[in-house]
Amino acid sequence: MAKTLVQEFTKGLWAEIPPFRLVLGLCPTLGVTTSMKNGLGMGLATTFVLVFSNILISLMRNLIPSKVRIACFIIIIATFVIVVELLMQAYTYALFQTLGVFIPLIVVNCIVLGRAEAFASKNGLLASTADGLGIGIGFSLSLASLGAVREIIGTGTFFGHSLFGPNYEPFTFMVQAPGAFVALGLMLCMMNLIGKK
Amino acid sequence: MREMIKMVVVLTVLSVVSGGLLAYLRTATAAQIERQELEFVKGPAIRQILEGATNDPVNDRFKIDVDGKSHSFFVGVFDGKPNTVVFEVAGKGFADAIGLMVAVNVETDKLAGVAVTTHKETPGLGAQAKEDPAFAAQFVGLPVDQPVKVSKDGGSISALSGATITSRGVCAAATDALSQYRELKPRILEHVQRFQQ
Amino acid sequence: MGYFELIVSCILVNNILLAQFLGNCPFLGTSKKMETAVGMAMAVVFVLVLAGVITWIAYTYLLVPYDLVYLRTIAFILVIAALVQFVEMFLKKSIPVLYAGLGIFLPLITTNCAVLGVCIINIDKEFTFMQTLVSSFAYAVGFGLALILFAGVRERVLLARVPRPLQDTSIGLVTAGLLSLTFFAFRGMV
Repeated sequence: MAKTLVQEFTKGLWAEIPPFRLVLGLCPTLGVTTSMKNGLGMGLATTFVLVFSNILISLMRNLIPSKVRIACFIIIIATFVIVVELLMQAYTYALFQTLGVFIPLIVVNCIVLGRAEAFASKNGLLASTADGLGIGIGFSLSLASLGAVREIIGTGTFFGHSLFGPNYEPFTFMVQAPGAFVALGLMLCMMNLIGKK
Repeated sequence: MREMIKMVVVLTVLSVVSGGLLAYLRTATAAQIERQELEFVKGPAIRQILEGATNDPVNDRFKIDVDGKSHSFFVGVFDGKPNTVVFEVAGKGFADAIGLMVAVNVETDKLAGVAVTTHKETPGLGAQAKEDPAFAAQFVGLPVDQPVKVSKDGGSISALSGATITSRGVCAAATDALSQYRELKPRILEHVQRFQQ
Repeated sequence: MGYFELIVSCILVNNILLAQFLGNCPFLGTSKKMETAVGMAMAVVFVLVLAGVITWIAYTYLLVPYDLVYLRTIAFILVIAALVQFVEMFLKKSIPVLYAGLGIFLPLITTNCAVLGVCIINIDKEFTFMQTLVSSFAYAVGFGLALILFAGVRERVLLARVPRPLQDTSIGLVTAGLLSLTFFAFRGMV
């Protein structure tokens, strides 16, 4: 039992890490990763929703009639998204402002609904929690690393601290819209290279 | 039929619980959210412009209603005299709206400083409007009866390198603020008197 | 802002896919073949205009008067989900020809964040009813334009020899980056 729980958790960190292995949730991945801090914040907000909706859906899986299950999932997920919205406004206001429209859009993040449908509605409480945490943390790590790469190259800073001194001419392409696609594409390519070995 | 009733019951209960939870959370966080807004978005900008004031400008504020919308004004006391007011205006940047705090000295009718509050400009380029103190410093001491312009348009502000549109946006917002100030000056003076120490 | 500026801004400058990054899952998912891309684009135009208008009405006449603005996210997603269901049933019964073309894309649209995103943007920018109508349509056209252009490019990429690790999604993203770069040229125009 303990071993499978660990497996459910760790698969989100490598074997099924979104958005690289599980190509879902691309919008926030591209939209907010202009810096490591934004990426990490977005990832953690998504993790919160993912874990709690997984827990609740797993607990209610025998109560929810299958015909209206998607509607029920959406209500549960949307509730937790609003919880995150309110909490972020109350305690991390600046970050909430930068992430903007992408916080309410967690509702339609395919990762969250996908995990609810494919995992939480069929598995027990502990397994669903582990699954939510794993996928969530994996997603946060991906966003943070993509954010870090774009921030280092694009503005010459890391987590807000200057890295290369004032003489570094930032390659601002990386923090602008087209750079997002290219950076993610190249990171995906690197993941494929490492994975193939 | 039984299934039908179950569907309706589950959906209703779910919606009611979700609504109740959110309503509670919203009341619980409302005060904190307002405080955050003042503290994080407006607070630092106000304190930055009114450096050296002997009062706490974030607390000393009054409201004026213009066309049904209420605008907040913050008062700075220097040498025992409440002679500076700060208020926020919105301008159009490269990516999205820019919030700009503008301070005006009511005795000399001169700009006492500006500071960007909210923006979504490109990090390293347009975002410098907020981060580069030299850019904001150029606005200090400009007269209130002339439009503020970048040097390309025949004004005195040298634009941020690579971010002419952001710079123009900030100038336009400042010009806007000044005409608002000229219009409201009698009413502003009335309120300011109350903060005499 | 005039309507012309609004249209140019929504289609080109702030293109929903390439500048705002909304709706990227169907962007990569349905762009491998021109046919599916055209179908998806049409379905999005159809639903987005309806959703934009209906959510605007719901927000202005229901949420605001009853002080329920904080429930916006949940209200909008339910409206969109119900709308998509309804459109699907309506098309199936009344216009089977259109249903045959759009049917399979409709369920995907509920979770297309471009739809919910545009509805939220319309509210955040405090648009009037007409502006909402125009911007929803223009955003949807922008979505269709980018998707169809991208599908055209991608069909060509299929014929090229791409190094193995770069294949499929990876090269797709880099291509999207180049397309985004062309749209980037419109920035600052409005």
